[in-house]
Amino acid sequence: MARRITRRHFLTSGLAAAGGAALVGTWDAVRPVVYAQGTKPIRIGAETILSGPYGGYGQFAEWGGRLAVEEINRAGGILGREVQIDFRDEEFKAATTVKNVRYHVQEWGADVVIGVDSSGDVLAAAEVMPQLDRILIVHHAATEKLNEVEVYQKKNRHVFRISVPVYQDGIASALVAKDFYNVKRWATVSPDYEYGYTSWRLFRETLSHFRPDVQYVAEAWAKFNTSDFSSHISKVMAAKPDGIFSTQWGGEAVAFVRQAKLFGVFNQIKVMMIGMGAAMDVLEGLGRDYPDGVWASCRYWFQYPATQLNRQFVARFQERWKHYPSYVSETMYSCVYAAKAAIEKSHSTRTADLIAALEGMTLETPAGRRVFRREDHQAVYEVPWGRIAHPANYPMPVIEHTRVFPATEYYRWPPFTKLFGT
Amino acid sequence: MLGTLLFQGLVGLSGAMYLWLVSAGLTLIFGVLRVLNFAHGSLYMLGAYLALTLVTSLHQPFWSALLLGAAGVAAVGVVLERVFIRPVYRLPIAYQLLLTFGFVLIFDDLVKIVWGPIYQVPPMPPSLGGAVLVLGRPYPVYNLFIMGAGAAVALLLWAVLDLTRWGKLVRAASSDREMAAAVGINVPWVFAEVFAFGAALAALGGALTVPVQTVSPGMGEGIIITAFIVVVIGGLGNLWGAFVGALLIGLLQAYGTLFVPVFDLALAFIVMALVLIWRPEGLFGGRPA
Repeated sequence: MARRITRRHFLTSGLAAAGGAALVGTWDAVRPVVYAQGTKPIRIGAETILSGPYGGYGQFAEWGGRLAVEEINRAGGILGREVQIDFRDEEFKAATTVKNVRYHVQEWGADVVIGVDSSGDVLAAAEVMPQLDRILIVHHAATEKLNEVEVYQKKNRHVFRISVPVYQDGIASALVAKDFYNVKRWATVSPDYEYGYTSWRLFRETLSHFRPDVQYVAEAWAKFNTSDFSSHISKVMAAKPDGIFSTQWGGEAVAFVRQAKLFGVFNQIKVMMIGMGAAMDVLEGLGRDYPDGVWASCRYWFQYPATQLNRQFVARFQERWKHYPSYVSETMYSCVYAAKAAIEKSHSTRTADLIAALEGMTLETPAGRRVFRREDHQAVYEVPWGRIAHPANYPMPVIEHTRVFPATEYYRWPPFTKLFGT
Repeated sequence: MLGTLLFQGLVGLSGAMYLWLVSAGLTLIFGVLRVLNFAHGSLYMLGAYLALTLVTSLHQPFWSALLLGAAGVAAVGVVLERVFIRPVYRLPIAYQLLLTFGFVLIFDDLVKIVWGPIYQVPPMPPSLGGAVLVLGRPYPVYNLFIMGAGAAVALLLWAVLDLTRWGKLVRAASSDREMAAAVGINVPWVFAEVFAFGAALAALGGALTVPVQTVSPGMGEGIIITAFIVVVIGGLGNLWGAFVGALLIGLLQAYGTLFVPVFDLALAFIVMALVLIWRPEGLFGGRPA
């Protein structure tokens, strides 16, 4: 097809684009917006786990990403250019993730890459970003090695992260747990990889800082794809813990809690804490079976903060997908908006310009005001911990009696020599 | 400490019975048909999904979902054997492996299309919730039930293969298929029936996980590798070998979690290697099934 643009053609399409943009809000139904011809779409490659026990994460993340793209396109795109997003299944494998990132950049023509769920996968993907010369804005993978080592020490400037890392799982959790005066014996059932180990280590170090009286009595590490947690539960319960700390997530958290119930765990311990227990797929998956009072958190909670921006996001998300947003819905959504903000600020899609634009950027998002730290490219914002409850006005359990700590207290800060806080 | 050891052993036994149900069908099919069925894990997954649909969408009680699910997968098994596997019997074994591995991918994608890619959480039958005190600690009724189900299947297999006429036909066809055919046994049909029977066992294993685990595409891939280890340890094609192998690996996994948490995945492979060095044909290999 000939791509020669006549003057008339240019004028009409430009007018249509302007008209389309002007109509947004009042005339939502009049779509699609006609983009100025000859402009290439802006392409965002998105990586997330779309199948298996963690597939619930990818589903919620994809909903968030697509909602953002729909909103942006309805409002005229980015710099008048249409935005396209493409999701590929990370499969919880580093090799697949790298392959998908390469596909997105080299074949599909992505201007920006966002996403990645697993800590193991993200470190592999981060390594190839400078060579591909694209930025990766991470929406979920939580290892602190990404910001503290890969960006801060190794100076890999191509990677940013919009979601709170293991500081949420390992440090904020301990700030909650330090006030459980009658809980002195802690045990863990957690996944047998980077994320599980780091969270448990941070939890112990932080908790012991405040509470030299607590003991850590048992650890059970569950392999990826564990479906029967009986032997793990039985092992930690033999040590008679007062509290169980777990970083199982997705479908494995669901199976773990169901089986813990069968073993009568919740009658024998005083408290359970599940780092990512307030992810929407876990809340929906467990439903009535989620015991009241379990402490749970996430990387964005849809009721926090109580801003208009957040309320409107939740309402639009619910209207579009018939679910409340999970944390990865918001983080993927905000990754798209972070890319938009960087492109608009720099009037460019060149990677070097985007990096310069994102460093130190302040972004108003549904999760609150985020600031990308210059030193390690980590977005700073706060997320609550709370207790599982079953109020009648929600179709799933929610967290109540929430506790929120200032980021200055629970994030680790450059140069990362202190355990936590500034 | 002794109590902890015994209790962990009991937990291991319930894990062993899940493994046994999957391994039984796998080794039975190999013993009689000489087919190494990679897709056995897919039949396990299919059993779980059929039971899920029967319970949640068709509002069947759990018991009938177990049986109907197994029957449905048996029917799938007949088609699989008659239409696809039979033509490759005479070809080198690599063709079987390729074909059944192909079905692993096909079943995974079919399940994603029909039930979606995301895991599902089926409800628990109320009669099987709760726990009883064993050695002073609560032990789930459901794990006891699994042990009972595993034992019942072992008894059933023994009775069917050793006491019934059909069992005799199966044993005849497995020990010498030409001779069996010469005396008038319809060997192809016996093969199809055995495949269906093995498929039903896999489906039963899958369906039994439904109340306490989650159901997701690819759920068969984890257990099939362990089931292969079990079957190789026991001796390919030997049912009692598979039973003993399942007990061994089930207990090993439970005690592995207790004592060598970071290493427990490798334990099963190490034990398999040791068994193969000592007895290359497996613990019970070379003996009639």
